[in-house]
Amino acid sequence: MIDNGYALSAIAAMAAVTFGLRALPFLAARWLQKSSRVRALGQFLPLAVMSLLLAHTVLANARDNPAGPWAELAGVGLTMGLQWRWRQALLSILAGTALYVVLRNHLW
Amino acid sequence: MPSPQAPEAPLAQTSLSVLSLSIPVAMGYVPLGMVYGFLAVQAGLSIWITVAASVLVFAGAAQFMMVSMLAAGLPIAAIAAATLVLNLRHMFYGLSLLKRLPSRLSARWYMVFGLTDETYSVLTTMAPNTSSRHVVLLTLLNQCWWVLGSALGALMGARSPIELLGLDFALAALFTVLAVEQWRTAHNSAPLWVALISYAVSQWLAPTQALALAIGLSVLVGLLWPANQTLLGPAPHD
Repeated sequence: MIDNGYALSAIAAMAAVTFGLRALPFLAARWLQKSSRVRALGQFLPLAVMSLLLAHTVLANARDNPAGPWAELAGVGLTMGLQWRWRQALLSILAGTALYVVLRNHLW
Repeated sequence: MPSPQAPEAPLAQTSLSVLSLSIPVAMGYVPLGMVYGFLAVQAGLSIWITVAASVLVFAGAAQFMMVSMLAAGLPIAAIAAATLVLNLRHMFYGLSLLKRLPSRLSARWYMVFGLTDETYSVLTTMAPNTSSRHVVLLTLLNQCWWVLGSALGALMGARSPIELLGLDFALAALFTVLAVEQWRTAHNSAPLWVALISYAVSQWLAPTQALALAIGLSVLVGLLWPANQTLLGPAPHD
């Protein structure tokens, strides 16, 4: 079991950070809109951060897998292809995860 | 918030049409919430803590990440920092909704609290003169779907003795979907290459802190990167 006090502290911290980020544009709109650096970062950062999170998560999954990264690559490949073609996030996530679960439990 | 000049817009919402707008969100939130709830309970969180996170945090990707970070026993500061990075994109959503804020204070803060990717995208399709009540109703419905899914998944996780290897891949798949969508709207591939090179360098320099270091490097490069002025458009005066 994960300790309740520890989990609740994490939830409180996450709630504060998430709310702060969502509220910031409404509190500091002028500064955010006027600063060309901030706007350039807004253009640059989202794709960079998502790529990083994806690489990091896939690597963590692959490290747990003694059979090599093939199941991870297949799962990401299927998810990517489906999302690119049909833009149905749920379909992409469920199909990619299902393929990965099947591969990990029955093949690799 | 109808202004006196604006006549009743053809797209004005009724409570029923707000419900119909939130149905597609429900079709994503309920099953994904179930996967989150299931994984959280299997990782060792209690049912009520699992649901409390959906009520208090209400951020899908961050909650998925929370499960693996709590299971690994990471410090609160690391979890907060990861949340900051993951939800940074929400900061830029709000900028386009500035003129659509409900006038009532409680409605305003609840809408800001519930500004997830999905709520944001539905809000941008609603008429600008949509009433505070309907904006709040949409946000509330969306959050109810997410909480409902989490609770169902947590209950299933608590009863299910089976442990399927690899269900946590849902997080990687979620990041894949978000990355594809960012890629679709990106104006060039530089952020992708900067991220991958930063990550490779960070893995080499500090394998245990690779993600944090790579994010720091990417922010630094992003700040120094020449902005595409034509795409940014002129800075608004006033």
